Amino acid sequence: MAGRTWIRTIVLALLVAAVSLALDMKLADILTDGSLRQLLMLTACNVLVAVSLNVINGMAGQFSIGHAGFIGLGAYTAAVVASQLHVKLGSHAPTLAASFIVVPIALLAAAVVAGAFGFLLGLPSLRLKGDYLAIVTLGFAEIFRLLIATATVGVQDTPAQAWSAVRGPGTFFHALGVSITALGGQNGYAGPGDQGVPLYAGPFWILTIVTLMVVLAWRIKFSGWGRALRALREDEIASAAVGVDPTRYKVTSFVLAAVGAGVAGGLLAMMRDGTPSVQPDTFNFQASFDAITMVILGGSGSVTGAMLGGVFVTLSIKAIEYGQGSSFVQDLRRHAEWLDLNALRMILYSALLIALMILRPEGLLGERELFQKKRGAKAS
Amino acid sequence: MRVAHPVRPPVDANAALLEVTDLRVNYGGIAALKGVSLHVGKGEIVAMIGANGAGKTTTLKSIVGLLPVAHGSITYAGKSIVGMAVEDLVEAGISLVPEGRAIFPTLTVLENLELGAYVHRDKKTMRETLEDIVQLFPRLGERMKQEAGTLSGGEQQMLAISRSLMARPSLLLLDEPSLGIAPKLVQQIFVAIAQIAAAGVTILLVEQNTRVALRASHRAYVLRTGEIAKSGPSVELAADPEIQAAYLGG
Amino acid sequence: MKLIDALMTGLAQGGMIALVALGYTMVFGVLKMINFAHSEVFMMAAYVGLFVIAAVGGTAHPLLAAVGGTVVAMFACSLLGITIERIAYRPIRARTRGSKLARVTPLVTALAVSVLLQNLAQLLFTARYRPYPQLFQNTRPIIFVVAIAMMVFLELVVKKTWFGKAMRALSTNEEAARLMGVRTSRTIAMTFALGSSLAAVGAVLYCLDQSQAYPTMGFKIGTQAFVAAVLGGIGNIPGAMLGGLLIGIIGEMVKLTSYSGGVDVLVFVVLILVLLARPAGLLGTTRVEKV
Repeated sequence: MAGRTWIRTIVLALLVAAVSLALDMKLADILTDGSLRQLLMLTACNVLVAVSLNVINGMAGQFSIGHAGFIGLGAYTAAVVASQLHVKLGSHAPTLAASFIVVPIALLAAAVVAGAFGFLLGLPSLRLKGDYLAIVTLGFAEIFRLLIATATVGVQDTPAQAWSAVRGPGTFFHALGVSITALGGQNGYAGPGDQGVPLYAGPFWILTIVTLMVVLAWRIKFSGWGRALRALREDEIASAAVGVDPTRYKVTSFVLAAVGAGVAGGLLAMMRDGTPSVQPDTFNFQASFDAITMVILGGSGSVTGAMLGGVFVTLSIKAIEYGQGSSFVQDLRRHAEWLDLNALRMILYSALLIALMILRPEGLLGERELFQKKRGAKAS
Repeated sequence: MRVAHPVRPPVDANAALLEVTDLRVNYGGIAALKGVSLHVGKGEIVAMIGANGAGKTTTLKSIVGLLPVAHGSITYAGKSIVGMAVEDLVEAGISLVPEGRAIFPTLTVLENLELGAYVHRDKKTMRETLEDIVQLFPRLGERMKQEAGTLSGGEQQMLAISRSLMARPSLLLLDEPSLGIAPKLVQQIFVAIAQIAAAGVTILLVEQNTRVALRASHRAYVLRTGEIAKSGPSVELAADPEIQAAYLGG
Repeated sequence: MKLIDALMTGLAQGGMIALVALGYTMVFGVLKMINFAHSEVFMMAAYVGLFVIAAVGGTAHPLLAAVGGTVVAMFACSLLGITIERIAYRPIRARTRGSKLARVTPLVTALAVSVLLQNLAQLLFTARYRPYPQLFQNTRPIIFVVAIAMMVFLELVVKKTWFGKAMRALSTNEEAARLMGVRTSRTIAMTFALGSSLAAVGAVLYCLDQSQAYPTMGFKIGTQAFVAAVLGGIGNIPGAMLGGLLIGIIGEMVKLTSYSGGVDVLVFVVLILVLLARPAGLLGTTRVEKV
């Protein structure tokens, strides 16, 4: 039985890889509209955003309202690493072959950096609960965004020069300031010399990695690990009494969620057909709120629910952007300045969330999964 | 003593002030009370004794509307009070001194007492009741400006009882007034309870300290796993060999 | 001289922040939840104030305009606060009591209300920055005096009135408060009204000084005020006043340095440090009841 499961897994993995590889090479021919290709990949990335936030907000019963911070960390890290590698590789136009060097390294860096911060943020979760912890995550995300957006140092030296001149705390912070300033401030980071961040991640990378991470999240939920998390959420003291160590589980769930978000951010930064720069304001509170909406709409604790939420929210954001840009709405806005479709969207979302909290606080699916019955039958 | 309720006498003085019939309450999916019936006549001191978890606190809480009643009737002064909100019952003259006192620790002793008078907010009544309370518990009088959290356990119990008296109740429900209090202060508190009853306040008290409860009450009910196991005049119960063996340590 | 100047500005700023912080702290006291929508009530007050000031005639009658704008904003925002509580918070309070979602649900609801109000303002008033008329020559002393007066007023309300006592009782022990006959819902509604009207005073004062109203203005001030409340010890009324003044002064001191973006970053750093090192805040104590 175990052997057959293995074979099935490998066959499935190969199938996903083959399909996404085919898409990678042929997508431009199938979907000639670049914005549609972008939409497809963006949706996949946001599915990962939702699924990763679901680990903290849904499974572990903690509450993060600063998920955008982790996405941003991943995006900036991957953008910087990919840009540097791109230069080392000779600054040629990104190819699929070269992406096998650039993307894994950049994503690994993004995952490590985001994961490290996830660890740091997970630590307070041991002492702080509910609202307080939420505030800490918001604080972290805002510090990250504001630091990058507002960093300025008077002196014009490169990060390399500044770091080699570190002799003590003063010069250390100077070097740190120089490095953050090199990320481009409010205008965003567009690679060294503003050449643009190289966009190596095509459908192949995005689809395989998102699939991989989603499967991982599913596995976590239905493993002993997921059961321990659920037990912790229900009753921390009782679970600790039967040997579930709250420290380990809480911190690890933060790390996992951060890694997922970091990878999603990295993919977003290097996404083919995307914008070749990373801007701090992409990772503001609204982005975190969108992520929360994705998880809650679908059902806190449900992996497939989070995926559905991710797809729905992304599609509606893009539909609004498209509508807002259309000549019809532009004409209307000339007469009615107030007509802001995005504001309208946020009003509808928040009203929907409030209604959901009153009528069905566990979300559409609750903790249930689509297809769960089938799976449960097989497992038994 | 003027602590008795001055304005709202019971509708029918002959009827029991409080009458509980076949009371059933479920608590956390478990039947906590399985048909408790009891009555408290006007001016009586009635005790409810029994082991931990027998349903004593549950009975009191469901009388004052803090727990939903699954079945049965509760009448106060001849009127059904099932389903009434606790705020309305306080206004009607029922006051509960909860287990563990539940005083407001960050407020001063005086502020705690003033809150007791929240239902009537009558300045003259407040002043008079305060004078009575200082007579009843001189220790509280010395500590009026102190934060209530700084009081000793016994003093907090005195404060909790006094706070309830500020509402001028007709019926005072006391939940474990002796719990965790030095024996000397327990004595004082039960002397005060007798004085309060003498002033015309009807009292239903719940106690684990059976000896003290039986000595201080006219009648008593023995509660065992959600049911009334025995009842009768306290003197008789105190002499009952079974009660002596189970609750009075032989 | 520059330092003294910054200190005065900081005090005025801090007084204004404290007014907003009080709303967070009072609501947290009675409901044990962070009312994220409070910052949007502040923003709405700025608009109401602006419209009333313009309607009264603005610079033609500066005193009348300022007082009128403030009073109407206080009234309107009390209504808004009560409405928010009634429509969004009260239903979930009844529904989630004791459930495992009891912590997350209010949080999401409060966030959603905040986002809703902010975008509603975006639709109603557009994203434009709307300038306040310059009503007075020197607003800083006025802000400081009004803020102090409001705090004295609040102290009287909290200490001397039946509502104030009921609110404090409810903050410490809801069940015991009900046993005293305190009407929970009414007291909570009044707490929202009081907190919102203080935020309204803060908003009009802020705009008289900073001279602009815009839909996202709540986030910045709201955060500073919230941090002030946490710094002083959330749920603690004198703590919110102290925290507000501290944040105001620290903010102005940072502005003296070369790093302009520092204030916003610093506010969040202070927040995290306080939460990690002393979650109860400067004046908050975790009191252990004697048995």
